[in-house]
Amino acid sequence: MIGQPGKKIYPKDTMTAEERLEAVVRLEQPDRVPLSMMLYYYNPFHTEHSMSEYMSKPEVYRQVSRKVYEDLGPWDMYYNINPISRLLYSYAMMMRYLYPGIELPDNVMAQVDEIEYMKPEDYDAILEQGTTFNDLRFRMRMLPRFCKDAEGVHPARLWPTLARDFIRQKRFWKNDMNWCREKGLVMQIGMQAEMPFDLFSMARTIVPFSLDLFQRPDKIRRAALRLAPSFAEFMIWVARLMGTPRVQCYCHRTSNSFISPRQFEELVFPSLEEIVCRIIDAGMTPILHCDGDWLKNFKVLRRLPAKKIILQLDGLTDIYKAKEAIGDHMCLFGDVSAEKLALGSPDEVDETCHRLIEEVGKGGGFILAGGCEIPYNAKPENLKAMTKSVYKHGYYTEQQAVQVQVPLPKAT
Amino acid sequence: MEDLKKFRELFLSFQIDAVGPEVKACLDRGTAPKAFLACCQECMEEVGGKFDTGEYYLPELVVAGEMFKDVSERIKPLLKTGDSTSTGTLVLGTPQGDIHHLGKDIFKVLAEASGFTVHDLGVDVPAASFVDKVEATGATILGMSALITAAFEPMGEVLRLLDEKGLRQMVRVIIGGGVTTREMADRIGADAQTRDAYEGLKIVRTFTGTGE
Repeated sequence: MIGQPGKKIYPKDTMTAEERLEAVVRLEQPDRVPLSMMLYYYNPFHTEHSMSEYMSKPEVYRQVSRKVYEDLGPWDMYYNINPISRLLYSYAMMMRYLYPGIELPDNVMAQVDEIEYMKPEDYDAILEQGTTFNDLRFRMRMLPRFCKDAEGVHPARLWPTLARDFIRQKRFWKNDMNWCREKGLVMQIGMQAEMPFDLFSMARTIVPFSLDLFQRPDKIRRAALRLAPSFAEFMIWVARLMGTPRVQCYCHRTSNSFISPRQFEELVFPSLEEIVCRIIDAGMTPILHCDGDWLKNFKVLRRLPAKKIILQLDGLTDIYKAKEAIGDHMCLFGDVSAEKLALGSPDEVDETCHRLIEEVGKGGGFILAGGCEIPYNAKPENLKAMTKSVYKHGYYTEQQAVQVQVPLPKAT
Repeated sequence: MEDLKKFRELFLSFQIDAVGPEVKACLDRGTAPKAFLACCQECMEEVGGKFDTGEYYLPELVVAGEMFKDVSERIKPLLKTGDSTSTGTLVLGTPQGDIHHLGKDIFKVLAEASGFTVHDLGVDVPAASFVDKVEATGATILGMSALITAAFEPMGEVLRLLDEKGLRQMVRVIIGGGVTTREMADRIGADAQTRDAYEGLKIVRTFTGTGE
């Protein structure tokens, strides 16, 4: 195991956060339900820093995120984004980001500007190139086409900048990791990236990609499969280097909100299986970030190894149905809605969390979290209610059950 | 409609590359342009129906919409006055603070294919622009689409402005997008909410009395 935080978060806990996380991934019942707060855009609004400063200065990011933890924590998993470079972030996510303070006003969230930067002949290029580092080479070839910081730059000239930013990123994450150890938290992500099929969908954009699904489905399948081994190996290598044995795989466009279960099985699953199995074989946990409604894909998803994977849902899959359909196979992660956190009351949030803990958390295999990232306009009192909920309702045994009137220990 | 049998088959089997040449062949044979519109709308209805029952998914809907657009562009110059009538007028856009356009664009294609006149204001649209456009066009439907919660407040602002200008009674408001909920629509006073472009179309058709 990489990283072994030994500190317990609450005095009542009988497990460390790492032990708790490992238990729920194995679908075992831990001492209590773990909590992950995927906080990113919310943070600077909480501390009244400008979004542009927060996103461009890693020291500010660090200061802000720690202040938020002190105010609203504790939780078990730290969502370590801290993107010190737009180039590096674009490499991982393969989306064109518009940044506050650069293309956007100073105090707004970064936004994805979906442009068609990949052409049909790029599928052929993937299939024609060799297998060594081909995911890496494909991404480098695409970067100048969509990333604002790489526009007009020859791919070969991007390497030194990427390498420099990568080293800086590692330094900041290392620092985050030390802080996590002190607090008893686990880092959520060793590496994150958009999965090949989803990358194609984003890079082609919705209409051309829909046409591709009818005009060249086999090329999509084969190109995704061709990228899969080097994609997985690079993710594993980075996660090892970062010292966090979890790889977050983004499946933004794979759900049944977009494609059919048949398309999922035939065009997506082969590459997804290859990637997931390689990550597992490397002793790491794949976190499948599943946006959209996945219910009809679960039958096929059950072919992946049991008790090894975290499935993140974003509010569009009914997590209660997911518990029935796949909760005995994968650890479920979610799913307090953004709308509830932004517009609801603390009582409503508590009620939602309580039901999630009782029903989805039954028997273990569950991490309480928001549906995707916490919205920037979440009310702090709602986040506090979410934090308290695992303390109030999340312990699994009678002896550990905590009375509501017991004051919550401070995060620090 | 016998003339259009092959066209219909090609359309419904999503043979994208074969549809254009078949349109040309039919026109050369003297098929009335107006008949194409009716046939395309029937095909869209069939695709929509299958989407509704879960047989088809978004790509089928998008591809059908694209084929419809392609056919419309080919026959538009040949249509006579009165060949096509508008089902209704709607104003559409993504509110200020959000630049996502995917759901909005899909809905637009479907609404146009269904005979609506659509005024698409694009993305990051200020509240006042929505209201001004409704006023200028006399649109009876306003659609706002969002993917991030940053759009919640601007959506509410649009509703407030419509009220202020005395336009609220004349326009039905639908909000859509992955982040929206029925509860949120109630909070801001919208008439309807959806996360699904085709369901959105069915809702706006009920607004104009052209749907179920």
